[in-house]
Amino acid sequence: MKIVRYMLHPMFIIFAVFLVAPIFIMRVGGMSLAIEVMIWAIFAVGYNILLGYTGLPSFGHGLFFGTGAYLCGLIQHHLIPGTWISILGSMLGCSIIAGILGFFLARKRGIYFALLTIAFTQLFFFIAFQWDSVTGGENGLMGIERYPLSIFGLFRIPIDGVLSYYYFVYAILVASIVVLWKIVHSPLGSVLYAIKQNEVRAKYLGYNTWMYKWVSLIISGLFAGLAGALYAMLQHGAFANPIHWTRSGDVVMMVLVGGGLTNFFGPVLGAAIFIALRDIVSTLTEHWYLFYGLLIVFIILFLPEGILGYLKVGQTSRKMISVEEKWSPSLSGGASDGHP
Amino acid sequence: MAEFLSQLFNGLVLGLLFGVMALGFMMILGVMEVINFAHGALFALGAYFALTLQKVLGYWLALLISPLIVGVVGLVIEWTAVRRVYQKDPLFGLLMTFGLAMALEEVIRIVWGKIGYSIAAPKFVAGPVAIGFLWYSKYRLFMALLSLILLTAVWLFLEKTPYGAIIKAGVSDSEMVLALGKDLKRLRTLVFGFGASLAGIAGVIAGPMWSLKPTMGTDVLMPSFVVVVIGGIGSFWGAVIGGLIVGLSKSMSVLVWPRLSDLMMYFIMAIVLLLRPRGIMGEKSLLEQ
Repeated sequence: MKIVRYMLHPMFIIFAVFLVAPIFIMRVGGMSLAIEVMIWAIFAVGYNILLGYTGLPSFGHGLFFGTGAYLCGLIQHHLIPGTWISILGSMLGCSIIAGILGFFLARKRGIYFALLTIAFTQLFFFIAFQWDSVTGGENGLMGIERYPLSIFGLFRIPIDGVLSYYYFVYAILVASIVVLWKIVHSPLGSVLYAIKQNEVRAKYLGYNTWMYKWVSLIISGLFAGLAGALYAMLQHGAFANPIHWTRSGDVVMMVLVGGGLTNFFGPVLGAAIFIALRDIVSTLTEHWYLFYGLLIVFIILFLPEGILGYLKVGQTSRKMISVEEKWSPSLSGGASDGHP
Repeated sequence: MAEFLSQLFNGLVLGLLFGVMALGFMMILGVMEVINFAHGALFALGAYFALTLQKVLGYWLALLISPLIVGVVGLVIEWTAVRRVYQKDPLFGLLMTFGLAMALEEVIRIVWGKIGYSIAAPKFVAGPVAIGFLWYSKYRLFMALLSLILLTAVWLFLEKTPYGAIIKAGVSDSEMVLALGKDLKRLRTLVFGFGASLAGIAGVIAGPMWSLKPTMGTDVLMPSFVVVVIGGIGSFWGAVIGGLIVGLSKSMSVLVWPRLSDLMMYFIMAIVLLLRPRGIMGEKSLLEQ
């Protein structure tokens, strides 16, 4: 019965749902929205390593998402026109930027950490906006292509169609979730969680908490860059808009709405709900931001653990942010989870 | 030379205004441990209320009443929403005020429309004045004067009144204030209202200089952030010095390379952080935990 248990694992349910989703979505339209959901899901699950697992409230991760998009375009325009190279380059570039900013950020935590991430995202926004000879400024960096995939030089798979790009993003989503799941359930993940619970205690246990926070920042930056590159290819362009602080709330909301603070898969659900809501509300009224703002207030007041947290779904492992206290002194489940 | 001097004055005027904004922002940050994203929206509300009130009541009454209304808005926000997130994870406070900021900006768009308004400066400070060989806007000098009066008033309030002492204590350790038997709940509500009306009055003052548009709040919020990071959390003089640095960096970089004007303050912030991680006047505070 092991297979049945595997089949009921949320990871496989998610993979199965996204695998068959096009059958239904193709009929009603909205394939590009579905692709967008998967891209934001990659971004949000990666971001949750930092927010939910390490407990560092970054409010400027649009920085990496937007920069990843620009890097993808810049590599295609000025280096090598290719899909793999531009995606890998974006990931590498974003993790380097995360590493540099990490020198400023990794010694901070809590509100001060958040304050600095907001300031840095705005710095990058202005650079992207003003440096128009490189980034295209207000008009954005256009002409980002989806080149055919070359597999070991043997096959060439075109991904310029909607359906083929859907399954390309799907494959990356699957790989990303598996990798992130492994990270969370590795000794590294346990240390990150320990830092979130009580950084001082983790330090006294002998962990170089600064370095772990730095690594966590780099991991989340890397996946944000990946998502950004995929997004640039979806839109055939890169824009400064996602870097602005007024868009910083998007990924945080995806994590929160779905229940990412209590569940690894929360951000995937959150991304789907968020993008569907935005699409529906925007067609009904032009005042999406009023709805968005009030939704945030509502979620914080009445549903702080998100949908999966409220339904108490899959809280098998750990409660990641204690809603009532600043930090919870309990270390429940810590020891059995591959702690070194 | 004339251009240099006029940019210098512009920077000082802007800096004093940022100082007023940042002080309210910092008090809320210190006492409540909440990053108030809605501070910019409250600033914009101040300007828009003044726009409407001026037509009926004239300039002086609008200058007085508009910040009071914004203060009441602040009290209502604190009372209904923000107070639920104290002592929770800092992320919640951050998101709460972020949501409020988004909603308030959209409310402004619904009530006053998307288009910009320009407010005329009141008659007695309209037009330029000669300072030596330089013709300078009378209204900007008037702004500087008002900001100085406000900063002095806040300083006197913080340093010379018992309530100011409680607020200062609250900024450095709000739970200790509770332990000493002060009503922390009321203190927080009042500080939020006070900070909101400071933002509101800054909005009223800035109205005639910038044109009024719904995004004016989001535009002015970032300088307040940077001022607090540069100046250091919890220090009155930090906010004033940080404000002047940001104001001057914005205006002086126009002389060198206009494109730098929005970026300069972030570079200064990065340098300050490298040399003094807590900001110029910052001390170790509970926020770092």
